[in-house]
Amino acid sequence: MPRASSLFQFTWIALADPTRRSILERLSRGEARVTELARPYSMSLNAVSKHIRVLERAHLIRRRRAGREHFLSFDPDPLTSAAAWIEAQRSFWMSRLNALDALLQAEDVTTPKTSKRKDKSR
Amino acid sequence: MKPQPQKAIVQVTRKFNASAERVFDAWLDPNTVGKWLFATPTGKMGKIKIDARIGGSYLIVESRKGTDVEHVGEYVEIDRPRRLVFTLKVPKYSEEITKVTVEIRALGTGCELTLTHEGVLPDYIASTTSGWNMILDQLSATL
Repeated sequence: MPRASSLFQFTWIALADPTRRSILERLSRGEARVTELARPYSMSLNAVSKHIRVLERAHLIRRRRAGREHFLSFDPDPLTSAAAWIEAQRSFWMSRLNALDALLQAEDVTTPKTSKRKDKSR
Repeated sequence: MKPQPQKAIVQVTRKFNASAERVFDAWLDPNTVGKWLFATPTGKMGKIKIDARIGGSYLIVESRKGTDVEHVGEYVEIDRPRRLVFTLKVPKYSEEITKVTVEIRALGTGCELTLTHEGVLPDYIASTTSGWNMILDQLSATL
């Protein structure tokens, strides 16, 4: 079981590849066998299996065994964590820019620019 | 297999009532940078060195509860007032070098800024974001 931060990195690695994204897209419509998943791609079953392993490592795919058959399904949980992380990062920069805006507005109050035209729209 | 660090891209956009030039200069003027970018109202602003030319480096030190946190990097592109690109590293938290691109376009009497941060690593953010958010909220409140 990877640490949470490693799992994050596995998520990025898994999502970085268009084939893997399209596999997830297919699985989001319902579970499928490995052979079914491989059919649309012009690559070997082995190559597709490698992609599937990368997705499993990121916990984006679940595997269910029924006799000799393996069924794969999509698990969106890691995506939720990744989205939350991106959102935290965005809010960090946004708060920085808010601070800059507050600073510039404070400057306007203490040192009004007479040469510049003021906000006429208000 | 050991995971290779993957780059994530984060982008934010914000409008300002100030001119593009003023907003641009706020990133490179040592007196202004210390008041918002890595400022800590409860702590002390440490050393600020800015060599504002392409290939020039910067060092911004904030002292938080007696711990110095260095922010270092290099200016990659300086195209006033449209575009600023610099690298960013915070050695205390990560050896990873990330890239920040700031694009500013005039909009009415003000401007709109788009910031793109590339190569951000989850490890680094997890250890810093909450602290920074708190600090910035305080800064906004004092101004």
